[in-house]
Amino acid sequence: MAANSLQNYTLVITGAPYSSQAPQTALLFARAVIAAGHTLDRVFLYGDGVHLASSLSAPPSDETHWANEWANFLKDNAIPGVACIASALRRGLINESEQKRYELPASNLLAPFIIAGLGEWVESTMESSRVIYFHAGG
Amino acid sequence: MSTLIVIDQSPYGTWAGREALDMAFSLAAFDQSVSLLFTGAGVNWLRKAQTTSKIEQKSVEKNLSAAPIFGVKAIYADARACAQYGLGRDNMLAGVAMAENSAELLHEHTHTAFAG
Repeated sequence: MAANSLQNYTLVITGAPYSSQAPQTALLFARAVIAAGHTLDRVFLYGDGVHLASSLSAPPSDETHWANEWANFLKDNAIPGVACIASALRRGLINESEQKRYELPASNLLAPFIIAGLGEWVESTMESSRVIYFHAGG
Repeated sequence: MSTLIVIDQSPYGTWAGREALDMAFSLAAFDQSVSLLFTGAGVNWLRKAQTTSKIEQKSVEKNLSAAPIFGVKAIYADARACAQYGLGRDNMLAGVAMAENSAELLHEHTHTAFAG
């Protein structure tokens, strides 16, 4: 593949695991992006997609653990995974600082995901050559 | 760079449209060119005098009225969808431009994002 055809991607996931196919399709796409030599700038979780960053999901052992699969992929490839703060707070996806701020009984953000604002997505629309959306569909 | 945010789902049934609107406001807040297109059942966002107290949701009409304040460039409504849902000038919010050809509108923007 010619070097000048290489792209840098941002993936936006808005569908939740176990209620939509979005996180799974996005992971297969992400692996293909890396395998083809492209760059993945960022994975942005928005809307119901933030559930992918929960450290408290416990699917049956004969099912794929999509949150862990994604977390491992992000760690292995040093790719930032960002959950939108407004989406996350509404849906009970909380890191330690938000737990303190809102005096909540627990936090559940799975590393290496971080919580940040929509500005991260705006930056992607400005800097990534491709921004691809994975919705729940239906 | 210009982005078109497309809302094709009716208001109140899901949060997707509101979150798409937040995306538009966020782009505008960062001084990026952004417009909104309402199409399909999404044109119901543009209905005048929505009463939402009984479902304990904020009216999307109110959310949408902030668009010019944030600097959203234009609000478009797909003309065919408006006809289908019985929306015309008399029962629609002010400041909405009719889009006769939504496909053309998509081509005029470098980025497109649909409500999830």
